[in-house]
Amino acid sequence: MYAIARPWEPRPGGLLSGAPLPLLVALGVLTAGAGALARAELVPLTPARALGAGGAQGALLATAVAWAASRGGPAPWLAATVVLAGAVGAALSPLGALAYLAAPVWVWLERARLPGLGLARAPAGLVVAGAALGALLGAHLFVTASLTLGYSGRVPTLEGLAPWLAYDVGGNVLTTEAFFRGALFDRAQRRWPFPAAAALVTALCLVRYLVDPLLPRSLEVTAGAVFYLTLLSLANCWLYWRSGSIAPGVAAGVVFFVAYRLLHVVP
Amino acid sequence: MTASGRRTALLVAGLVVVITAGLAAADGSPSTPWRHLYLLPVLLAGLRFGVAGGLIAALGAVLGVGPFVLREIEGHGPTRAAAEGVVTLAVLAGSGALVGSLAARARRQRERYETLRAVQRALAEPTPLGRVAARLAAVLTRRLGVDAAGLVLDEGRIVVGADRLDPRSLTARVLARREPEFVTDAGTDARARRVVVVPLASDGETVGALAVERLGDVSREERDALVGFGAAVGLALDNARLAARQRRFAEELEHKVGEATARLGEMDRLKSGFVALASHELRTPLTALQGFSELLATRAFAPVEVRRLAEIMRGEIERLGRIVSDFLDLARLERGLAPAIRRAVLDPAPLIAAAVELFRRTRTTHRLELHVEGALPRVDADADALDRVLKNLISNALKYSPPGSCVRVRARATDGVVAVDVEDEGPGIPAEERARVFEPYYRVRETAGLGPGTGLGLSVVKSLVEAHGGTVRADAAPGCGTRMTVMLPALP
Repeated sequence: MYAIARPWEPRPGGLLSGAPLPLLVALGVLTAGAGALARAELVPLTPARALGAGGAQGALLATAVAWAASRGGPAPWLAATVVLAGAVGAALSPLGALAYLAAPVWVWLERARLPGLGLARAPAGLVVAGAALGALLGAHLFVTASLTLGYSGRVPTLEGLAPWLAYDVGGNVLTTEAFFRGALFDRAQRRWPFPAAAALVTALCLVRYLVDPLLPRSLEVTAGAVFYLTLLSLANCWLYWRSGSIAPGVAAGVVFFVAYRLLHVVP
Repeated sequence: MTASGRRTALLVAGLVVVITAGLAAADGSPSTPWRHLYLLPVLLAGLRFGVAGGLIAALGAVLGVGPFVLREIEGHGPTRAAAEGVVTLAVLAGSGALVGSLAARARRQRERYETLRAVQRALAEPTPLGRVAARLAAVLTRRLGVDAAGLVLDEGRIVVGADRLDPRSLTARVLARREPEFVTDAGTDARARRVVVVPLASDGETVGALAVERLGDVSREERDALVGFGAAVGLALDNARLAARQRRFAEELEHKVGEATARLGEMDRLKSGFVALASHELRTPLTALQGFSELLATRAFAPVEVRRLAEIMRGEIERLGRIVSDFLDLARLERGLAPAIRRAVLDPAPLIAAAVELFRRTRTTHRLELHVEGALPRVDADADALDRVLKNLISNALKYSPPGSCVRVRARATDGVVAVDVEDEGPGIPAEERARVFEPYYRVRETAGLGPGTGLGLSVVKSLVEAHGGTVRADAAPGCGTRMTVMLPALP
C-alpha cells in the first residue's frame, strides 16, 4: 500500500502550475488580433474567425499537452501549431478544414508520451458507452430541435459535413476534451471531490462554448447549448473519472456534434 | 445489480417514459402540474440506488421535461411557464441528489455499525495479533468499500497491507504525530487515489494506525467516520491484546504450576527414597556394632583379634557420625541456614595430603595419586569442613570407580583461587545430570547401585564450599570418569 510502504511527499505546485504561459500569451494575442482585424473589417470574417478559433483551441491543446505529457513529452508549441494548421486550412477554403484532422493524428501518434490523456489505455467498453451517450443526447437534441423548435434536419452532403466533422474531431471536441477533461478535470479531481471538480470544469467548459463566435446568438440556442453541454460535460467528466482516458469523452462529443451538424443551425 | 435492483431500475425507466409520453400526448405546458409526477421515479431511484441513481433518474426526467421548456423559451421567450419549467428541472436534479445522498448516508451509517460488529467478531477470536490484524484488514476492505486497507500495530512490528513500514510514509507520520491524515491523491494512478490514515487510539495511547486507499472520493463524512472508527478499533484491539495477554499469563501459570507440582512430586519421591535409604544406612553400622559388641561380650578373643574388632567398630562409629553430621547440615540447609563453620588462616596442602594419605592406607583396592603443583597459597577456611569436603569427594571417587583403577587428586593455585580436582575412572555422570548431583537426596540412577549413599554428601559439599565463598562443579574427566573441582578463594 502506498500509505504504508511508500515515502510521502506533499504535492508540489497549484492547480494551474506548469502552463506554457509565453505560448498562451502569443496565442491569446493571435486570437484577439484576429477578432480585432475582423471587427475593423481589415480581413474577411470567415478566415478571421477560423484563425481566432484556431488560436484559442491551440491554446487549449497546448496547455493540455504541457500538463498531460510525461518527462520528455512533446513540446506544447507543436500541439498549437498542429491545431493552427487546421485553422489556416479552414481559413483558406472550406475543404481546407480537413487539415484539422492532423491534430488527432498527431495526438494519437504521441499518445505514449501523453499519459495524462489516457489514449494508450482507453477501455473499449467505455468508449462505446461514450458514443452511446453522445448518440442519446444527439438524438434528443435532434428530436427536440427539429420537432419542437423548428430547426429542420437535413441530409448531409459529404462536402457539407466533412469540414465540420474534421473541425469537430480535430479542433472542437479534441481540444475541449484534452484540456477540460484530460488536463483541468484530471488536476481538479486529484484535489477536490468529484462533484466539485466536475462542476468547476463544466462551468468553464460552458463559458468556452458560450463565448465561441460559432454559436448562434439566440436565446433558445443558448438555452439549448447550456442544457446539452452541461449534460455532455458532466457525463464526460464521469467517463474520464471512470476510465482515466479522454477517448470516451471524445467519442461522446463527436457523435453529439454530428447530430448537431445535421440541424440547420449554423448559417 | 440484484434482481430486485433491476426490477426497480426498469420501473423507474418505465415511469419516466410513461410520464413523458403522457405530457407529450397532452401537449402540455412546462408549468403543467403533471410534471411533478417525475418526482416519483426520481425519489424511488434515489432511495434505492443513492446519489448516482437519483441523478440518473433526474437526468431522464430532465431530458423528458427539457423539450417542453425549450419550446416555451423559443416560442414565447423567458415566460413564467418557462421559468417554472426551469425550476422543475432544478428541483428534479436537486431532489434526486438530495434523496439519494440521504439514503446513501443512512445506508453507510448502517454499514458502519455492521462493520464495527464484524470487527468485534474478528477480534474476539483467540488467535495471534498478526493473524487478527490480517483478518481485520480484509473485513475493513470489504465493508468500507475501499480498494485497500492496511494496519500497522505493535510499534511497526505487525504490518498488514505491505511488507514493511517505510519510516517516511504517511502512516509513519500519523504514528508519530497521532493525528489523522488525508491525501487527496497518491499520484500513482490515472484516477485519483485518496488516502486516509487514522491513528488507532486506546486510553489516550496510539496503539497503531489504520490506512485506507480508494480510487475515488472519500467524503468528509466518511473521513470523520474513519477517525471514530479508528478509536473503536483501537479500543477493540487493546481489549483483544489484553485478553491475549491474560490467556498467555494463564497458560504460563498453568505451565509453572505443573512444573512445580512435578518437582514437588519428585521431591516427595526422593524423600521417600531417602527415608528408606537413611534407615538402611543407619541400620548397617548399628547392626555391625551390635554384632561385634555381642561377640566381645560373650566370647574371649586374643588381644590382636580384639583390636581388629575394635578397629572395625570404630570405623562403623565414624560412618554413623558422618551420616548424622550430614543430616544436621541438611537440616540447617533446609531451614535456609549456612553450615556452621569456624574459619582460620590455614595452608591447604597438608590437609589435602592427610586426606589422601588416610584413604591410601585404608583403601588399598585403588591407586591414589596426589599432585600438588607448586606452593599453594593459604586460605581462610574451617579445617574440619575442608577435611569433610575432601574426604567426601575422595570417598565418592573410590566408591564409584572400579577396583584397580586410579583416583587422582590435583591441587593448584590459579587466578586467585586454590583449585582441587578429584578425578576417577568410573562410569562418569551423564552431562544432563551433572548439575543435579548437588541437589539433596539426588542420586544418579545409573550409578546408585554401585555403593551405599544417602544422596546428601555432594549437597553438603556444595553448601560447605559455598559457605567459604568457593564453588564446586562436576565435569567429565579426560578419557572417562568424573572430575569434581573445588575452588576456594586464596588469601593474597
